[in-house]
Amino acid sequence: MRRPGVVVPAAILLVLLIISAFPAFFAGLFGNGDPRVCDLTRSIDGPEAGHPFGFDVQGCDVYANVIFGTQSSITVGVLTTGLALLVAVALGVIAGTRGGWADMVISRLTDVFLGFPFLLGAIIALNSVAERNVWSVSIVLALFSWPTLARLVRSSVRGVANSEYVLAARTMGLSSARVIGRYILPNAMGAVIVVSTIMIGSVIVAESTLTYLGIGLEAPAISWGLQLASAQSKFQMAPHLLIFPSLFLAVTVFCVIVLGDSLRAAFDPRRTA
Amino acid sequence: MQKPRTVRALVIASVALIGLTACATGGSEPETSDDILIFAGGEPDHLTPGRQTVAFDQVMSVFSPLVDLDAEGNTSMLAAESVESDDATTWTITLKDGWTFHNGEPVTAQSYVDAWNFTAYGPNAWENSWELASIVGYDDLNPAEGDPTTDAMSGLTVVDDLTFTVELVGPDSQFPLQLTGAQTGFYPMPEAAYDDLDAYDREPIGNGPFEMTEPWKDTEEYTVTAYEDYAGPAPTIAGITFRPYTDNLTGYNDVLAGNADLEYLPTAKMTSAIADFGEDHVYSLQAPGVDYIGFPLWDEKWQNKELREAISMAIDRDAINEAIYGGLYAPANSLTAPNMNGDPAGICAELCEFDVDAAQAKLAEAGGYEGTMTIVYPGGSGLDELFEAYANQIRQNLGIDAVASPTTDWAEYWQSLVDHTVAGPHFGHWGALYPSQQSTLRALFTEGGGCYLCTGYSSPEVDELLLEADASQTLDDSYEGYAAVQEFVLDAFPTVPTFSATYNYVTSDRVVELPAVSGSPVLSKIVLAD
Repeated sequence: MRRPGVVVPAAILLVLLIISAFPAFFAGLFGNGDPRVCDLTRSIDGPEAGHPFGFDVQGCDVYANVIFGTQSSITVGVLTTGLALLVAVALGVIAGTRGGWADMVISRLTDVFLGFPFLLGAIIALNSVAERNVWSVSIVLALFSWPTLARLVRSSVRGVANSEYVLAARTMGLSSARVIGRYILPNAMGAVIVVSTIMIGSVIVAESTLTYLGIGLEAPAISWGLQLASAQSKFQMAPHLLIFPSLFLAVTVFCVIVLGDSLRAAFDPRRTA
Repeated sequence: MQKPRTVRALVIASVALIGLTACATGGSEPETSDDILIFAGGEPDHLTPGRQTVAFDQVMSVFSPLVDLDAEGNTSMLAAESVESDDATTWTITLKDGWTFHNGEPVTAQSYVDAWNFTAYGPNAWENSWELASIVGYDDLNPAEGDPTTDAMSGLTVVDDLTFTVELVGPDSQFPLQLTGAQTGFYPMPEAAYDDLDAYDREPIGNGPFEMTEPWKDTEEYTVTAYEDYAGPAPTIAGITFRPYTDNLTGYNDVLAGNADLEYLPTAKMTSAIADFGEDHVYSLQAPGVDYIGFPLWDEKWQNKELREAISMAIDRDAINEAIYGGLYAPANSLTAPNMNGDPAGICAELCEFDVDAAQAKLAEAGGYEGTMTIVYPGGSGLDELFEAYANQIRQNLGIDAVASPTTDWAEYWQSLVDHTVAGPHFGHWGALYPSQQSTLRALFTEGGGCYLCTGYSSPEVDELLLEADASQTLDDSYEGYAAVQEFVLDAFPTVPTFSATYNYVTSDRVVELPAVSGSPVLSKIVLAD
């Protein structure tokens, strides 16, 4: 686990996680930490002392906004993946251990959901929710991202469920719940965790994409997607509006994906480092 | 028939804001003819004058109005020889001799009367029917229930080939202004039109400076060329190609590259247009439109006048104009646009001026504000930065937790006004079709005015004062009358006037001069470089 492919992105992500947990502290580092203190007369002015990333169209501090944006993006990423994982594990375990008609119903259900084009489905669902905040956006994204995980859980669980130590545990007369909780799940989760990690990255991209298109988070939420949407028409005059949020977005997603890949390599016995 | 009027006016407003969505042809093949102007615009809805609601430029190039406007808002006769009345109720319109439609048919009094009757006839459901609502007999063609028993308005009488009279339901000195270009419901149609109205809608035969050379096909460009026998002042260009764009930013880039000549400037490009095009090719035209913030006045919380005044004084209109509109708009200080005839500029006085201390004092007087203030605006119209700025200023200057909240689309915003469910202060815009304060004041502040829902404010005194002003014998008298209306309304302060709109255009290097009337370019008088 000492390889740089794990350590470097993990360290960066840790920093981002801490930032998203205490955005107010980090935003305040340069003395102008309130993302909602805006002075229109400073609209799209460039970086200066106290405002390292400059001002946005509304004259708000870009640095404070980018830092607070970390919180929305990472929350959506983690929340969505968490929700998807919860559904996926529940359904995957039922399908994988029960088999029979339960397996069939669940598998067809995942097929149906996989049949939806992700972005199109999310756009339609988001257009019909009343209020688009971190929670509702996460739920909608989770709604369309659990099936891949569920399939993975199902196949890993099936693989493990037939192994000898599980049979042994069953023979000893342990309850199903205990067999699943103690013997099946821990051994089936490796690959699932790896895929979930990578999924956090793609969820963050999806959230920014949807927000950029005007159907994800909406003001007063502070999000990289919103900042990018507002920056696009001013790019020629004020490139800093586009550069800083996209830099954070790119670094975050890159780290998550590299970390996921490295974990996959570490977990996969067939691949040697 | 209030509904179509309202909806239509709002459609105009929304179109102006969205900035004329436009096209698909994607064609940008180099134009060979030097004197053809390429207009990068939106897709028309109809080309029949009684029906169009977003094709003003297209229709106004094929037709000529009775009365013309100049840049200062003064009227002169165009297709009419004279429009006269002794009592402002019965108007005699005399036509100029020698005018013909593009098919050679002479333009007669009957052409007008027939077209107006057809447009006003309820069962036809033509979009611009409401423009004719003040003519006697309009109600007979639009009964509240059932079918009309007649198809002609009793207020219209043909005297001879070139003369007809119009009787209005009440005295109205502004009638000649209503006959100007943008009120396309007052245009004439030739007899040939009634044979096949669908075909006519695609290839209208008008009395204007340009004639159609081919029928308009959906999402495709088409060209109009100068009509040889046009009896009015000859156009300065040989023709116009109307090219529709589905994305106005594509049109913007095409104009920048010289592939098209003229486009309505998208709001998103307002701050960069001058850098892109240079001052000579960005035209900011004073438009007869006003932006304001409306309130849910049916809600007790918002009946507090001091609260509304506090909000007005907490908004720094100049700073918003610079930051969001690149300085192209004008902060409002009356209820009507500055280019309205007799606009009482400055009548809003200190209530429309940015003053944090005074605003806070007003808020204290109002008893403060509890909870979150949700400011609602239609989403997808490019208004996000503007309302974000309003919310920021109200939050920072008044300490109120203000949030700008877009609806999903225009329809949802409108529905929230209809249902009285709008959550707080909301977007408002009125784009008048003729430069008379009457149009704006009647629409926004009377119950039958067409946009009563937009403000939710009316009062018997306002109705009275407006009728008085309408009945003035001279235009100058009417200005005083309308100023009195404004004074009364501003005293009640039902809306916060924010900006008087400008309609902004960018042009290619070929366009040397862009004459304009009431915020719209006069395409027939554009001067192109040699």
